[in-house]
Amino acid sequence: MQKIPLMVAKAGMVLSRDVFRTESANGIPICGKDTELTDSLIARLENLNIQSVYVEGHPVWTEGDLSLEETLHDLDNRFEKVRHDPLMAKIYDIYAEHLKRSLGESGGRKAE
Amino acid sequence: MDEKRNELKKIIMDTKTLPTLPGVINKLNSLSDNDKSSVQEMARIVSSDQVLSARILRLANSPSYGFYRVSTISNAMILLGVNVVKSLALSSSIFEIMEKNSVGLWEHSLGVGVASNLIATKLNLPECEEIATAGLLHDIGKVIISLKCSEAEQEVRRVIDQKRVYMREAEQEIIDTDHAEVGGWLAKSWFLPDKLSEPINCHHNVAAAGSHRIKTAVVHIADALIKASGFGDSGDSYVPQIQQVAWDILKLNEQIIADIVEALEDKLVEVKNFSLELQQGTDAVAY
Repeated sequence: MQKIPLMVAKAGMVLSRDVFRTESANGIPICGKDTELTDSLIARLENLNIQSVYVEGHPVWTEGDLSLEETLHDLDNRFEKVRHDPLMAKIYDIYAEHLKRSLGESGGRKAE
Repeated sequence: MDEKRNELKKIIMDTKTLPTLPGVINKLNSLSDNDKSSVQEMARIVSSDQVLSARILRLANSPSYGFYRVSTISNAMILLGVNVVKSLALSSSIFEIMEKNSVGLWEHSLGVGVASNLIATKLNLPECEEIATAGLLHDIGKVIISLKCSEAEQEVRRVIDQKRVYMREAEQEIIDTDHAEVGGWLAKSWFLPDKLSEPINCHHNVAAAGSHRIKTAVVHIADALIKASGFGDSGDSYVPQIQQVAWDILKLNEQIIADIVEALEDKLVEVKNFSLELQQGTDAVAY
């Protein structure tokens, strides 16, 4: 899941959170999660003055975002003192899996 | 060696020199000890301090608690309980300094608060909000050490860099105690309830906890998970060992942790945005 400015939202992206009229989650959602964005929907959200939306995966990369390899490398460093422990090795695997799923293959960085 | 420790303890126990505690909290303490006082009365006291009220509501509505619709102090008191509001008043006072001086530690603490709440909810534990508050406050000792002994704190950071050790180990070397114990002293001197002071005091040594071992175990696990996800900056970057006793007492298994990690990572995106918004708006926040 990634929070992106509406300006960079593109048709085909899928909402991972309900969109509300205001930033706080008060009131009635104006667009439900799991909705696939279309050009006309994005234009309507713009008209409603929505600033940002949450979308599935990690479709937008900006300078400073780490690639999957770099992120996994950081994870290795954080676990360096406890990797030998069987319980912690399992926790490591859970995190590595999560990162691969959210940054890797499907939602991941495409070749530029 | 004990000298340093006792000296530090004396400094910390002397709450009069703590610049951060508003008088409202003392009034609140004496009121809540008195059976005859009503929630409304207490709410009125808190509401008399506008800045504090704003900060309490901000925290109550933060992702740590998720009570999105708390809009008045008396609502907060009824929904969250008097003790939670009391500790919110405390933590918001402490966090005001933290936000400005140490955004990393503030984010780490907020993250652990969120994670504690998630774990407690997932395991259907009672008093989720208290557990979240304990998570939020677990590293309060670090704030006090940096406030009261800034030289020692710099020394601690140097040792972490050089020897690549946990912050706790560096603290033991330099000040002969650690942030968990210091936080425990502080919690005691503020008369915080045991359900908050024990998790603060024992979050690195769950076995030492007494009647609130489950809450302590939750905060211990939450701390490890937040360090694993690399959220915020608690002083060192190493994931701590999860203690078997904590794992056993909560009857955890891999699947539960995987579910929690999934939900937590999702929530942390929100927490990060919450923190960024706060930093942008710290000056304009006393609405």
